Amino acid sequence: MIIFIEMMNSISAFLDTGGQVLTVIAGVICLMWLLIFERLFFFLKTYNGIKKSVIANWQARADKSSWHAEQIRIAQVSRLTEMLNQNVALIQSLVVLCPLLGLLGTVTGMIQVFDVMAISGSGNARSMASGVSRATIPTMAGMVGSLSGVFVVTWLQRKTKRRTEQLEDSLVLQH
Amino acid sequence: MKSLNRVKQHVSTFLAAVTLTSAAFAANAQEATSLDQLLEQLAQGKVAQTQQNKQREADFMARKSEQDQLLANATNERDNQIKLSTELEASFQNNEIELANRQDALNKRLGELKELFGVLQQVAGDTKSKFQNSVISAQIPGREAFLDEFAQSMGSSSKLASIEEIEKIWFELQREMTESAKVVRFDREVVLADGSKQTATVTRIGNFNLVANNKYLEFISETGSVAELIRQPSGRYLGTAADMTAANPSQGTQQVAFALDPTGGSILSLLVQAPDTQERVDQGGPVGYVILAIGAIGLLIALERFIALFLVGNKVNRQLKTATPSNDNPLGRVLMAKEEYKDVDVETLELKLSERILKEVPQLTSRLTMIKIISVVAPLIGLLGTVTGMINTFQAITLFGTGDPKLMAGGISQALVTTVLGLVVAIPMVFISTILTTRSRGIINILQQQSAGIVAERAEKGA
Repeated sequence: MIIFIEMMNSISAFLDTGGQVLTVIAGVICLMWLLIFERLFFFLKTYNGIKKSVIANWQARADKSSWHAEQIRIAQVSRLTEMLNQNVALIQSLVVLCPLLGLLGTVTGMIQVFDVMAISGSGNARSMASGVSRATIPTMAGMVGSLSGVFVVTWLQRKTKRRTEQLEDSLVLQH
Repeated sequence: MKSLNRVKQHVSTFLAAVTLTSAAFAANAQEATSLDQLLEQLAQGKVAQTQQNKQREADFMARKSEQDQLLANATNERDNQIKLSTELEASFQNNEIELANRQDALNKRLGELKELFGVLQQVAGDTKSKFQNSVISAQIPGREAFLDEFAQSMGSSSKLASIEEIEKIWFELQREMTESAKVVRFDREVVLADGSKQTATVTRIGNFNLVANNKYLEFISETGSVAELIRQPSGRYLGTAADMTAANPSQGTQQVAFALDPTGGSILSLLVQAPDTQERVDQGGPVGYVILAIGAIGLLIALERFIALFLVGNKVNRQLKTATPSNDNPLGRVLMAKEEYKDVDVETLELKLSERILKEVPQLTSRLTMIKIISVVAPLIGLLGTVTGMINTFQAITLFGTGDPKLMAGGISQALVTTVLGLVVAIPMVFISTILTTRSRGIINILQQQSAGIVAERAEKGA
């Protein structure tokens, strides 16, 4: 329990030094990883069940060669692809947003630094330190969040493409 | 005219002088009509001069003894003065020694008292500057005058402090200390934010803050007046000031949470200098307003698209569940082609379907590109603002040099604020654009890839 409280304290101290933008970045990263985990869960669990039932339905069909059958097959594949693609674009845009938010934090931090300079002159480096940390920490956090997401997004996109192809292969048309 | 008159005057005097001399010459010339006569006259003149000189010599000789007397007198006078000067010098030196002795004696007798007076002077000076800045002076004015007088009289070493004065300093210090522990209410004239004066009930919290009419006040020591802060702190702190004003001490002790400024007002006075959101945006200049306008347009478009796509999406979902195609949604309109062309072969049906789909797609994707463009353009305009701001900064540097960072602050804040505004507009636009594009693409996907399948499924079910 004490360890947990200490962890929370250090996290809130970190968020304080980074300013409000860091809180937003933290929120974006959390949302991104929630979506990523939802996707992973879908890929590893839910998708297999759906895929099996779709294949079973297809196998059960007597007619696998007519125009109707072909259109139904296309529709089925498209539905599953849509399921696979769900939220991937959102995750990708969140990955792009992270460095943008980092930049926003940098600029607001710099504004704070210049405010301090305008009031107290450039002599006092200590008073500028809080602005500088507000400028640098969000940038770093944005980069970390973006990098952590980039790999997963690429992996998800590749996975989606392959799964679609595999599904198309499993639903065999007879000519 | 005046100068001309003066010139005339000069000329006339000159003329008069000339006539006078010529008259004298004329007189002599009349006496000496010939050279011989002149010679004779000269000889006579010499005789007369010699007589005169002899007369003078006799006079001088007669007065010689008188001169001797005068000399003796002067010498005597000088000797007297020298004697007096020596005497005075001796007396001065004696006095000097006497003075030093007395000073020594005074110092010896003062002993530790001397240090005490030094401390008293220092304490009086310190306390004076402390009282000047203390908000307690708003309640008890005129305390510094006595301290100022006292410090000055202690500085001129000829005066000694009386016990009453020392006790008064003690009393004032003690009073400051006692008052700083109290929360006190008193009526006083307050300068409001609009410059008018009003008598208000001021609550003083120790020697930290003054509060009246739910607002924080500042004590201006130069004029001894109490003024409302032009810019009040944020709502959460202002709320505690309102609590403090509302608290009623006459109903016994009441505890109220209060956000106090432990520096005695200097943090609050810095607050006035920090710009608020409105002023920040203003610092961005015209470029900033352009970005904001574009952002507002983007938001309006996004709102309209959100509502439209949400409604269309709902209708399409309903259409997927019902068998009869209705005319109020894109999918329904596409599926209607099947009803209209019942007996055509599949190839023609496919063509008809894709024709309908092509008609529906533009409505679903319209204006989404606009949002995408705004999300790209906003940071670019922000960059434009940054560069113009930097140009301003460098102009300031060219004119005034780099010595004063405050002169450069205007350009730099323009540069930074436009960047911030660009990002503030771009970030939600990227997010919104993704969501809207996903939504519209989902519906288009259903139309393009699944409509034929749905037709086929329904045909099989019906068959």
